Amino acid sequence: MPATRLLRILGLLGDGGAGGSRLCEVAAEAVGVTGAGLMLLSHDLPVGSVCTTDAVSARIEDLQYTLGEGPCVDAHRLGRAVTEPDLAGLGPGRWPAFTGPAVDAGARAVFGFPTTVGGARLGALNLYRDQPGGLTDDQHADALVMAEVAARAVLALQSEASAGNLAGDIEAEGEFRFVVHQAAGMVSEQLHISVTEALVRLRAHAFRRGRTLADVANDVVARSLRFDEMGGDDR
Amino acid sequence: MSESALLISTLVELADSLVDDFDVVELLTLLSERSVQAFDVASAAVTLGLPSGQLHVIAASSDAMRDLELFELQCAEGPCVDSYRSGRPAWAGDLAVDDVAWPRFAGRAVEAGLRSVHSLPLRLRAETIGTLSLMRTSPGALADTDLAAAQAFADVATIAIVQHQAMVDAQAINSQLQHALNSRIIIEQAKGKIAESAGVDMAEAFQRLRQHARAHHLLLAELAEAVVNGSFPAGAFASPSVPPRS
Repeated sequence: MPATRLLRILGLLGDGGAGGSRLCEVAAEAVGVTGAGLMLLSHDLPVGSVCTTDAVSARIEDLQYTLGEGPCVDAHRLGRAVTEPDLAGLGPGRWPAFTGPAVDAGARAVFGFPTTVGGARLGALNLYRDQPGGLTDDQHADALVMAEVAARAVLALQSEASAGNLAGDIEAEGEFRFVVHQAAGMVSEQLHISVTEALVRLRAHAFRRGRTLADVANDVVARSLRFDEMGGDDR
Repeated sequence: MSESALLISTLVELADSLVDDFDVVELLTLLSERSVQAFDVASAAVTLGLPSGQLHVIAASSDAMRDLELFELQCAEGPCVDSYRSGRPAWAGDLAVDDVAWPRFAGRAVEAGLRSVHSLPLRLRAETIGTLSLMRTSPGALADTDLAAAQAFADVATIAIVQHQAMVDAQAINSQLQHALNSRIIIEQAKGKIAESAGVDMAEAFQRLRQHARAHHLLLAELAEAVVNGSFPAGAFASPSVPPRS
């Protein structure tokens, strides 16, 4: 990778180290966008976020986690950068469920860059702007370098973990929505179905109600929402 | 092709392959073969040190058994070993004469018509990971320009090997990350099942899961997996956990 870009980015990371949240702050600053998020994906679906810089980034990650569609999902699956410089002007074809809520949250341009090191595919870097507009060639090149630096940093953090565990730094600063899995366990008992099927039911309920998976899950865990007490049209 | 053109095109080719997916053995074989073409040598080989400290041939320019054998012998005694241990180039100018230090190797080399050997270290900062060994049919030394170019080849070989290892490491750590996350997810799902079945909160559900695992000498992740796939009933956790002694 071009040495000057790398040196600039490493300079921004500085002595603060590459702990999770710092990675996203540096990504936004290095590329020159409003905010950033770093998403981990497995088998083409989001499994969590290492960091997000603000509420809009968090919402962009949440939407992709709930809906399984969006710039990071595409970038990871396709193995290349995905750019949408004008989200509000986008028709329904690209990301039918993601686009409206993302625009409502304040995103006007979104970009996804796959985070890979050698053959290791970790996920993708989410970048957004609160104004429409694409990335310049320079910004695009910076984003490519940043994505690789972020991937290496995450692997470096994980390499410090004890066997079989998530690295403490990744877990403490990341968002893995464990509540969704707790809720899936509860729903699987309520309906006598598999946990996998319970996740599908949770997702369908969230989608129908325009809520995130995490919101619905929080209600289930708080016991204010039970899946075995729903009316006919609410399954 | 002139020698300098060959050197330049070899280095460019090697540098290019470092960026794409590459087969490290193929790369080192190419490097060995180009060494024979570019320098006044009869055969070339790359050796790597194993964790045990033993050197072994990983790629060579000629697969004639005689030469391979000689390179392997060098791994036990010869300039190759000296270079690996010292991290500096080593050289035997005339094996017909300098046979004291390496009797077996020198004797066999001379029989095979090879009279001199240069070994260049594969160095990355303070560590020597192997050597590039060059064997010649005439006694004497390689020209300084050839030696400098050969060291450049050795440096590229080092980077290729380290890159390859880093890539392998990256995949291994990524697998660990995914596996760790997956195990954790299953534990959370098991907590949910127990919480619902026993009518308790997540903290208590986790305590019960842990205590059961310990009492029955099971790994937490394995018990959680069994609860989630239904082979271990969530209903079995009806009894309260034992409070920790204060």
